[in-house]
Amino acid sequence: MASERRIDLYACCFRAPLLIWQSLFFVVPLGFMFIMSFWLVKNYRMTPAFAFDNWAKMLFWEVMWRSYGYTLGLAALTTAVASALAFPAAYVLAFRFSDAARRWAIFLLIIPFFTSYLVRVYAWQVVLAGNGVLSAFLGWFGMEPVSVLNSPVATVVGYMTLSFPLVLLLQTISLAAIDKSLIEAAHNLGCGNFRTVFAVLIPAARVGLIVAALFCFILSFGDFVSPYYLGGSSPPTLSIMIVDSTKSGQQWPRAAVIAVIMIMTLISIAFAAVTLAYRRRG
Amino acid sequence: MTRPLVVFDKVEKSFANFMAVKPTSFEIAQGEFLAIMGPSGCGKTTTLRMLAGLEAPTGGEIRFDGRVMNDVKPNDRDTPMVWQSLALFPFLNARENVEFGLKMRGVEPAERRKRALDWLERLGIGQFAERNVAKLSGGQRQRVALARALVTEPKILLLDEPLSALDAHLVIRMQSVLTKLQKELGITFVYVTHSQSEAFAMADRVIIMAQGEIAQIGKAKDIYRAPANKFVAEFVGRNNIFEGKVKSKTGKSLNVETPLGVFQVPAEGAPSTAAGSPLSFVVAADLVQLSATKPDAANVVECQLISEQFMGTTVTLFLEAKDGSEIKVQIGQRELETINIKNSAKLYASWPETRAHVLAG
Amino acid sequence: MKSGSVKLALYAYVLLAFIFIFTPILASFVFSFNSDRFPSLPLGSFSLKWYVTIFSRPEVMEAAVTSIIVSLASSVLATFIGFCTAYTDYRYQFMFKQAYLALAMLPPTIPLVIMALAMLSWLAQIGLSGQVISIIIAHTVLGAPFAMAVIRLRLNDMDPSLEAAAWNLGASEWRTMREVVIPFAMPSIIASLCLTAAVSFDEFAVAWFVSGLNKTIPVVILEILQGNVDPQINAIGTFVFLISITLIIIAQALMFKGRKEVSAE
Repeated sequence: MASERRIDLYACCFRAPLLIWQSLFFVVPLGFMFIMSFWLVKNYRMTPAFAFDNWAKMLFWEVMWRSYGYTLGLAALTTAVASALAFPAAYVLAFRFSDAARRWAIFLLIIPFFTSYLVRVYAWQVVLAGNGVLSAFLGWFGMEPVSVLNSPVATVVGYMTLSFPLVLLLQTISLAAIDKSLIEAAHNLGCGNFRTVFAVLIPAARVGLIVAALFCFILSFGDFVSPYYLGGSSPPTLSIMIVDSTKSGQQWPRAAVIAVIMIMTLISIAFAAVTLAYRRRG
Repeated sequence: MTRPLVVFDKVEKSFANFMAVKPTSFEIAQGEFLAIMGPSGCGKTTTLRMLAGLEAPTGGEIRFDGRVMNDVKPNDRDTPMVWQSLALFPFLNARENVEFGLKMRGVEPAERRKRALDWLERLGIGQFAERNVAKLSGGQRQRVALARALVTEPKILLLDEPLSALDAHLVIRMQSVLTKLQKELGITFVYVTHSQSEAFAMADRVIIMAQGEIAQIGKAKDIYRAPANKFVAEFVGRNNIFEGKVKSKTGKSLNVETPLGVFQVPAEGAPSTAAGSPLSFVVAADLVQLSATKPDAANVVECQLISEQFMGTTVTLFLEAKDGSEIKVQIGQRELETINIKNSAKLYASWPETRAHVLAG
Repeated sequence: MKSGSVKLALYAYVLLAFIFIFTPILASFVFSFNSDRFPSLPLGSFSLKWYVTIFSRPEVMEAAVTSIIVSLASSVLATFIGFCTAYTDYRYQFMFKQAYLALAMLPPTIPLVIMALAMLSWLAQIGLSGQVISIIIAHTVLGAPFAMAVIRLRLNDMDPSLEAAAWNLGASEWRTMREVVIPFAMPSIIASLCLTAAVSFDEFAVAWFVSGLNKTIPVVILEILQGNVDPQINAIGTFVFLISITLIIIAQALMFKGRKEVSAE
């Protein structure tokens, strides 16, 4: 274009809003949080400093590492469970449904993102409670009432409430994008249905499957609602620790330390996932 | 002669890492129908876009009606264009599309409505004025695009492969619409295409471009009969190209030695007449005579029939000479019947010396 | 029939997956009309008392007003930023464009609780925390990537010659923006407004951190959840759901219509 030789006002006007807004209210806040992790709290007031007190305190605090392991473990477990459970359903949606039916299914899968997560977690509370719907339901079949609430299982159910629709959605989309002739070719070469899944579908949809798993991990790793209201907060996850030390403890710098640790963990895992997704085969 | 409407004076365009158009000079007369033709990537579209101001030349000068246009913004020029994709505005109906240019020029709503409807009527699609452009057929959309470009009564109309998306029978129809329109309006058309038949059928003059340069410029007939170089001869097609060396010169003729034997060609136009210098010449397919018996002529090639291709009342025969090279012959069907080609193992292609055209480059 | 039963099992499995997804949504809807404070099976009697409760609580109404203001303002801002970004990506190539796009798409990958902490500390630092505008700022950051994605998808279908055609017919770049690009993108702009409004209307973590005393509806739900839990949450949830789903259906319908128009060409 003729106008692209010089720096023109028109182009700048469209480039600037994102740069200004996301710098001011996204990049700078995250950067500031990192700086804040070196500040000190004196008499319930934050004072600028460059001290490693918070870092030392958090890094040598056993409770924090137990929480770290617990959070990481639960998020990884949820990722594995959600990916494994979603895959057969995504397979059916992608290959056994007509295009129209699949569009409806995808529309249904989008709905949960716009219903309040809090309300859904509360509904699970009611369903999973000792004297709740699940127990009553089991009672009809002569089974003992169970209380799943306040256990890691309930936390995983909560995490799945958040992430399962997304995982199923992303898996369905990436499987549906596979060239159908690839599957026919595999069948043609004598590859059974089951073997085709592992030999053809999973490798072909690898990037989508890994992205789905990664998002599941990010959502579970950062969520504070499920572990608190379904898991009973014992032990607390990292996100609950952030909430507690910000909301009640006034220990923002320590919360910042945890947040930075979480971000670094997520970056490493995202990096590993992307490497895995785009690694050359063989 | 009147002052040319458009002058390209050593105009060039280079992008980051390649030269799309090398320094190029030519003129376009008032009221001329000029076609710019060439294979894809030859710089023809870039040339047109420079004229419309959509690309800025990196050197030279473009003058329009005497005015230097290099730094004039596209919206300050009056060089409407018909796009390859048509680029109709999908959210406007046919009439609103046509009105667009008038609206940008501040013409009153009632006036621009009238002028738009007049043009749609003139192009025979008045009854579709209020229809969404997505619901029109390819030919109708083509006419909307034409009306939209012409409604502002420009001095020039630029057309960028406008017929490439149409079915073959519609192409012929639109060609006659375009030529008739151009004659009636008397304005300049600059028509970019990769289709030889479109260019030769409509244009007064044709520019053939190759690799960012003008390979030849001239009337369609001249380009066809007397291609300036091997590229043009090949691009135009239907030419038999022979390469060889000058053997000797006799009077105004040259004897040229080729793998198929010695041929006589006119000496005029040869880059060098010295014995041993390389020389190429072409013989157009429709100038070659074919016979089943060996004719008594200077330039004869013995060959075998490989295949035939029928196009209306003419036939193109593809023959193979003894060294494996291809000879094309185009003759009328009527004429073909007089030669007993099916039963002849050998055929003879021949032409008088004057029909051969020596390539300068 | 082996293949028949395998097929049945696969479909049953899909049904099961959807039951898991929709159980909490349907349960909360049912419980909102159920008289029991701690619902179980069999259900109690039909009752509207939780709806009556929320309408009699002024703080819920105040929160609703705050929520509406925040989602309107942040959806307009986010859509504006998203449109500019999508257009820049559509039209221009420039140095560091990858970084520019990363900046545009990164916010959804940061856990909300971390965004909340970062927002709170920074906004407090510059004196902008605890106000309605704080939530608007934060929700704009969170909504802009969605706006960008929706509008970019639409611009994908825009013929690159369309803008040039408008210039060619005498429209300046700004005029072309007004007469061509914005009308073309309009369905996606409205879709983006709906989508980002819905994102804002549901977001609780960042809003809870930065809102101070200006609670939005999700923050009120969170506080009920922390205190005296009762099914009025479900009643509020049902309202939020109805509003969000309306916005989403409008957005989807517009995006679908836009695609159909273009593909009809």
